[in-house]
Amino acid sequence: MPSFKKSRPGRFLLHRLGNEKWQWISIPLLSVVLAVLTGSGVILLMGKSPVDTYIGILQGAGMLPKANYAGGTNMLTDFMSFLDAMAPMLLAALGVTVAFKAGLFNIGISGQMLFGGFLATILVGYSDLGGLVAKPLVLLIAGASGALVGGFIGLMKYRYNINEVVSSIMVNYILAYFISFFIKTHYINPVSRQSEYINAAASLTFKGVALGGVKVNVPLGILLALMAALVVHYLINKTRLGYEIKAVGANRKGAGYAGIPIGRTMVTAMMISGGLGGLAGATYYLGYFASIQPGVLSDLGFNAIATSLLGNNSPLGVILSSILITILDKGATFMSSKVGVVKEISGVITSLILLFSAMGAYFRYLIAKKQEDVKSENREEMGE
Amino acid sequence: MNDSSQAHSNIRDPAGTLAVALRRITKRFPGIVANDDISLEIKEGEIFALLGENGAGKSVLMSILFGLYEPEEGEVWIKGKRMSHFSPREAARQGVGMVHQHFKLVENYTIAQNIVLGMEPVKRFLGGVPLVDMKATNEKIRDLSHRFKLDVDPLQLISEINVATRQKVEILKMLYREADILIFDEPTAILTPQEVDYLLQIIRELREGGKTVILISHKLEEIKAVADRCGILHRGRLVAVKEVAQTSTKEMASLMVGREVILEVDKPPARMGETVLKVRDLRVLNRDKVAVVKGVSFEIRAGEIFAIAGVAGNGQTEIADALTGLMATASGRVFLLDEEITRTGVRERNLKGISYIPEDRQSYGLILDYDLSYNLALKNYFKEPFSSPGGRLRQEEFSRYAERLIEIYDIRSNRGGGSVVRSLSGGNQQKAIIAREIDQDSPLMIFVQPTRGLDVGAIENTWSQILKEREEGKGILLVSLELEEVMALADTIGVIYNGELLTVKAAKDFSKREIGEYMMGVRKDA
Amino acid sequence: MIEIILYDGLAFALPLLIIAIGGIFSERSGIINLALEGLLGFGAFTGAFMVVMADHFLPGSQPYGIYIGMAFAMVGGGLFAMIHGLLTVYYRANQVISGVVINILSMSLTAFLTRQLNAIIFNAASNRFQLGVADRFTLPLLSEIPVLGAVFTKVYPFQVVILLVALLAYLVFEKTPFGIHLKASGDNPHAVEAAGVDVKRVRFAAVMISGALAGLGGISFAYSISANFNPMIYMGYGYLAIAALIFGNWQIGNTLLAVLFFGFARSAGYELAKALEMSSTFNDIIMTLPYMLTLLILIFFSKQNAAPRALGEIYDKGKR
Repeated sequence: MPSFKKSRPGRFLLHRLGNEKWQWISIPLLSVVLAVLTGSGVILLMGKSPVDTYIGILQGAGMLPKANYAGGTNMLTDFMSFLDAMAPMLLAALGVTVAFKAGLFNIGISGQMLFGGFLATILVGYSDLGGLVAKPLVLLIAGASGALVGGFIGLMKYRYNINEVVSSIMVNYILAYFISFFIKTHYINPVSRQSEYINAAASLTFKGVALGGVKVNVPLGILLALMAALVVHYLINKTRLGYEIKAVGANRKGAGYAGIPIGRTMVTAMMISGGLGGLAGATYYLGYFASIQPGVLSDLGFNAIATSLLGNNSPLGVILSSILITILDKGATFMSSKVGVVKEISGVITSLILLFSAMGAYFRYLIAKKQEDVKSENREEMGE
Repeated sequence: MNDSSQAHSNIRDPAGTLAVALRRITKRFPGIVANDDISLEIKEGEIFALLGENGAGKSVLMSILFGLYEPEEGEVWIKGKRMSHFSPREAARQGVGMVHQHFKLVENYTIAQNIVLGMEPVKRFLGGVPLVDMKATNEKIRDLSHRFKLDVDPLQLISEINVATRQKVEILKMLYREADILIFDEPTAILTPQEVDYLLQIIRELREGGKTVILISHKLEEIKAVADRCGILHRGRLVAVKEVAQTSTKEMASLMVGREVILEVDKPPARMGETVLKVRDLRVLNRDKVAVVKGVSFEIRAGEIFAIAGVAGNGQTEIADALTGLMATASGRVFLLDEEITRTGVRERNLKGISYIPEDRQSYGLILDYDLSYNLALKNYFKEPFSSPGGRLRQEEFSRYAERLIEIYDIRSNRGGGSVVRSLSGGNQQKAIIAREIDQDSPLMIFVQPTRGLDVGAIENTWSQILKEREEGKGILLVSLELEEVMALADTIGVIYNGELLTVKAAKDFSKREIGEYMMGVRKDA
Repeated sequence: MIEIILYDGLAFALPLLIIAIGGIFSERSGIINLALEGLLGFGAFTGAFMVVMADHFLPGSQPYGIYIGMAFAMVGGGLFAMIHGLLTVYYRANQVISGVVINILSMSLTAFLTRQLNAIIFNAASNRFQLGVADRFTLPLLSEIPVLGAVFTKVYPFQVVILLVALLAYLVFEKTPFGIHLKASGDNPHAVEAAGVDVKRVRFAAVMISGALAGLGGISFAYSISANFNPMIYMGYGYLAIAALIFGNWQIGNTLLAVLFFGFARSAGYELAKALEMSSTFNDIIMTLPYMLTLLILIFFSKQNAAPRALGEIYDKGKR
């Protein structure tokens, strides 16, 4: 198709996408655009308006003003609630990212969230501790218990060569059922069919704070998550441990040759990953929510994979992508009530983003190949 | 216009007996022109040799003929018919068969299953369902192997047979497909001298049987011994076609490298010092718990090059891996400078003084996704000055160190220490590993296949570096499958066969032929 | 009680078997298939959707519902598997990532479609498709054999179909040229290409077959477990099938033993709980049994298994 390659838009696209310096952002953007377009196709097929749908989603996530608000709320309420929801997403995606760097696929984030959230809930959430003690303790317990689960999966991978995807799914279900059993037998609220609400002192979100004349939820979690992103960025790129994790992830044999302790590095990476998962669980079950629904694993653990891939598995990139994925997730309910497209559409778009991100390597390959062709054609034209 | 095609079509072809005609073939890969406007004619019933250095474009040209690649320009004619599309299937239909340098065999299938792969004899089940007729297959293969005097047991699994037998299977694969243009890609690279003789005999007999043979090689003696004509490739261009009988090996060599170079090394007499490495009764088990190194003992002194010669897969890589700690030692003891290191970890051994240039450079020696500076510090990154005591990496130290090694060892990279190693050429990747390992200043250096895949210039360079380290008083273990390399460099040679060192002698007491006999296990010291 | 363990165990083991055979097809051709979970789900969705459609628009089709369901589940699973095939075989995507992506896509897409289609076509706000009850039948004479007769007792129609399909799959896998090429592609794809066989086409076909077989298993689970299609279909059974095929060393025969073990262990667990008169709250604990077993089995058997040699490698013709 030389005509396309030589056409002006063709060259322009190739030039933009071909510039390796910008590929970290241009390729994810391409994934998002493709997903939004495909999603629009699905919405059109259902006989609804894609534009209304996307606007509805943005309004629901507090990014655009709604036509009217319930008493005591405004766009700030929605936006703060969005931040509240983004905190666990960012933490979970960072968890996926760290594991990815070590060449591992932590699909067990939702299990680690649940385990961390559950232990923090029963150990701190129901205690009479004051906020200054309770909140740090929640983070400590959730992080440590998540790390324990992550480390176990890493150990299974290293010691017994068990595919971490399979083992983390098994662990997910085992944890979900056990925790469901304990909640149903000990901590159930018979009305809500969920665990009893935690005490406000243990909550990582200040609920119903009056701000500028409206009531908003103020999430501490988002600060924690942004800090975590910086810490992970530093850890991966600037430290000895980061060097070792990336080496093990890029080339396990080569890392062994260099004398890097592969098993220890893998387990450490999975502990960090699981720890971040645990923290995500804390901000989710003891922040955004205040109780746990028995027997249900959060979708967030899976969406975090999309977030991480879309963010190029870079800790700072993940900040951007978690904003986007959280908007989709958060805005869906309002959109659904307003536009009439069922809210599950946001999951579809998220997984389409994931699908196109997984093709990122292919896009890069295609672009490199096309560029090579264009180059050699140019050479010929110039008579080289 | 280029007149090379004119020149070659002057070859007399009275009876129209051309097996292959290539006309102005050009094939590009990203960054290189592998075949540059090549025209070539091969007559029916001849043995035609294609000569050239690594990377000269021989294999690519033949892969085009075999249908694996499609050329950007030019035409391929087989027996007077122009190839319209390129696939192995189409080539096979025209009677082209190829024995690849890396055998293409299915390990967990039998010999017979491999030979018939893609053309299985079929019987109908329930009137329609096609099922493979294994009984007929085995019969057919037994007949075929008798007919061509290439005896194999059709029921044996590929994983159980040796290299020479695998080659027989590859030849039978072509014969089963009734190919009459047979391409051999570097067939002797992995054979012992005795096996080479046998193979050349087979090739001659195939010609007697009316087949056309194309032999890709860079070994001049073989070409002299068996070929009728030879074409010489240099950097993707066909530089000459010669009648072998009327050409000297010297002329062929100079055409091949484009200058007068015969590999010769200037090796001063050894000045050996104290014992650097002592290995006692080393046994190593593979993943299936089978012994692959069976009680090997030897010593290496400072200033000595100790070479382990042998056919691939006889345990030599495992010895190297066990010495460096990458594989566990099942029993036996290893001493480095009189200190036992049998159970020591990889990193400690590195620190105590073992440098290792591994065979598989891309999967062991380098982290391809890391930049050059990170790779050059692969064994030091955790120490001062690269890393602070708290574990923070100092990028500027990585860059400074990389600049130094790049300068000293002449590593070519686009962006200095910042280039991703994947983007470096094979030769420069090897330079980077050697630079890093030499700079460790270790008393023991282990080189495994250090020149594999390098061109003549790079081989010379590597050899002189190894000899320089010998001069510096390092103990050197050289594992090589190239007998030439072993003979050129070693002070002492041990020959390994089936996990055992059959003999260890001073290099000057060996003839090439004698080593060959040990390599095949037909000769043994008491 | 042994009888119940036997026939309930079989009702669970056979769908698992056909999913695992699907996995074997894909993995022996060289393509890691962690997508089984998503494939069985999408297959079940397609089958179930066609069943309710037939029920709605073709009154009288009800008795054949389960066969309609099975046929379309295979079609749906096979088509959905094309995504995995395209991504891994032609688009050079990482096979593990692709598998997980397919699973997530399947979950979100079926959740969306079920709700939206229910709303549009049936005007109902529901996240499930109600299937008819599959009548279990008992073979008159054979079922009277002591103990073993249970095998012929309370048989679901899908069990018979699965057995036939499994036999056919076995024949294709072991005896036909396609099966031979498939297994060779997972060992040394370069040998297959050099023999004039299109490796990519073989692998793509293998992945599609794995989707069809997983779909058949999925609709069977939908019938036997809940008699409807809903998001609960995603309970990790696809991953259980993967564990079974690893346990069975990528061989169909051994995998049969593995799934029987899973099936009987699970039904025995339920029976034990019943015998001990435990309250239904303990169901949650019993539910963990297959997952725990899987982990244990993987720990004990993963060391000795021999995965296909070329499993997970991106095949590139140009690579030498």
